[in-house]
Amino acid sequence: MGVDRYSGLPFVARFRWNVGKTMEKFYRSFAEKKILAARCEKCGYTVVPPRQICPKCYSTISEENLVELSGKGVVESLTEVAFKLDGKGGYIWLEKPELLAAIRLEGASSTIFARVEGEAKVGSEVEPVWAEKIEGKPSDLISFKVVE
Amino acid sequence: MKRVAIIGYAVSRLEWDAEKTREEAVFEVAREAMRSAGIEREDLGTAISASTDFLDGRTISNCMLIGASGAYLKDESKAEEDGMYAALYAAQRIMSGVHDVALAVSHTHSWIFNPHQVTQYMLEPWFDRQNELLNEITLAALQARLYMSRSGADEEHLAEVCVKNLRNAAKNPAAFRKMADVTVEEVLESRLYSSPLTELMIAPPCDGAAAVILASEEAAKEFCDDPVWIRGIGNACDRYLRDRDLGRLDSLRIAAERAYRMAGIEEPFRQIDVAEVTERFAHQEFMAYEALGFCREGMGKVLIEEGMTEVYGEIPVNPSGGALSGDPVCATGMIRLIEAVRQIRGETENQVEECRTALAHAQWGLCAQKNLVFILGDRL
Repeated sequence: MGVDRYSGLPFVARFRWNVGKTMEKFYRSFAEKKILAARCEKCGYTVVPPRQICPKCYSTISEENLVELSGKGVVESLTEVAFKLDGKGGYIWLEKPELLAAIRLEGASSTIFARVEGEAKVGSEVEPVWAEKIEGKPSDLISFKVVE
Repeated sequence: MKRVAIIGYAVSRLEWDAEKTREEAVFEVAREAMRSAGIEREDLGTAISASTDFLDGRTISNCMLIGASGAYLKDESKAEEDGMYAALYAAQRIMSGVHDVALAVSHTHSWIFNPHQVTQYMLEPWFDRQNELLNEITLAALQARLYMSRSGADEEHLAEVCVKNLRNAAKNPAAFRKMADVTVEEVLESRLYSSPLTELMIAPPCDGAAAVILASEEAAKEFCDDPVWIRGIGNACDRYLRDRDLGRLDSLRIAAERAYRMAGIEEPFRQIDVAEVTERFAHQEFMAYEALGFCREGMGKVLIEEGMTEVYGEIPVNPSGGALSGDPVCATGMIRLIEAVRQIRGETENQVEECRTALAHAQWGLCAQKNLVFILGDRL
């Protein structure tokens, strides 16, 4: 019954973006297990991942104002995620839910979102979990875990 | 600045897998809105549509809709967001004195591709999009938890919002998700997506279209016996996710303040008779109560506990069922605007008594990053 449907998609789009000089530094310093942020000279806002323009006061943040964070942070919000999207609009229901957190890194003003391991709660202190083989890429930072 | 009224509207039935093309859907609501306003295509000066390239799977998603909306060779444009923004731009064109009659039309057919998947394209691509767990739903869950830990609202409070709205929707013939007898337990026991959000706390994507006709004061008086006047408008967009306080809707608070100032509203709780808000997730209705100034910060749950936002309450919110009763993404906020118009005209199924001033709200972006408020009235 009803009318037929046809998919009219002639290609699969795999977009690739230039991350820019500042983000490149951010990812390359993962090779030394470092997390960089940009601290605004004018208003003190500290943004991670770093940016060239302060999202609070719009001042330019120069490369000299990149600072290394301790990597430790506090869980501000937490959710047990029961699904993943498969990239085609479908749901993959997870056998075991994964924990996703909003984390405020020590010294940062902005929030990051990352997977967390262990018995995390709102307020838990967490630290980064690095991949065994690190090469200065996004995949180096696997997740965060609760500090023992 | 010229005054603007809404003189006609149309809403399609919200459904899943609508057996019509989007061109047909847009044509039907555009034609019906013009008919209800008593205007012909020749009376129309400008037309603004709202649709999204990614949701439609076409670039220039208004392509082929210009004919369907009667806008060939007219001053035509598109908003890549909610249809209430199309209404905002249409109102501004009339306020400027350039046009007298405008059409704003919006649609989304969610069936063609899952809108929640598309929301991953709203993420900043260099860092957040590298995290496969991030999407509109999981981020809303983080927002919900943040709001709940601050306000003391719990899962049951969220479920009570769903019960109110889904029961209201049962009387609304256009609604998509209607549950006349739904209980708090059923909401809590529906499928968990991302704690605390269960299936019934998430606005269900569906297919739908909506249109409104706006007119200048002179044109409104010429064509319409009961125009509904736009008394105030406020719009604000917040910073990106990582740089804003997700537990508050600051941009909605600012948008509301601007709209109230324009409309001369000083005590929203007393002066507004009904509000139609876009609560894409249950907790956002509480956040809206607070940002709109209906109660103090953190007190949203009290309004639900006391039944104040029920149809019979002091400040009814979403008597239509809200976004939780059906989310045809680009049309969702525009439907709130139309429901507010219908309340003032006394045409709704869940009619608020002596309704003279109504508020309509639309949002766009992850965790309601961008917010738009209209204040409508039965007189200028």
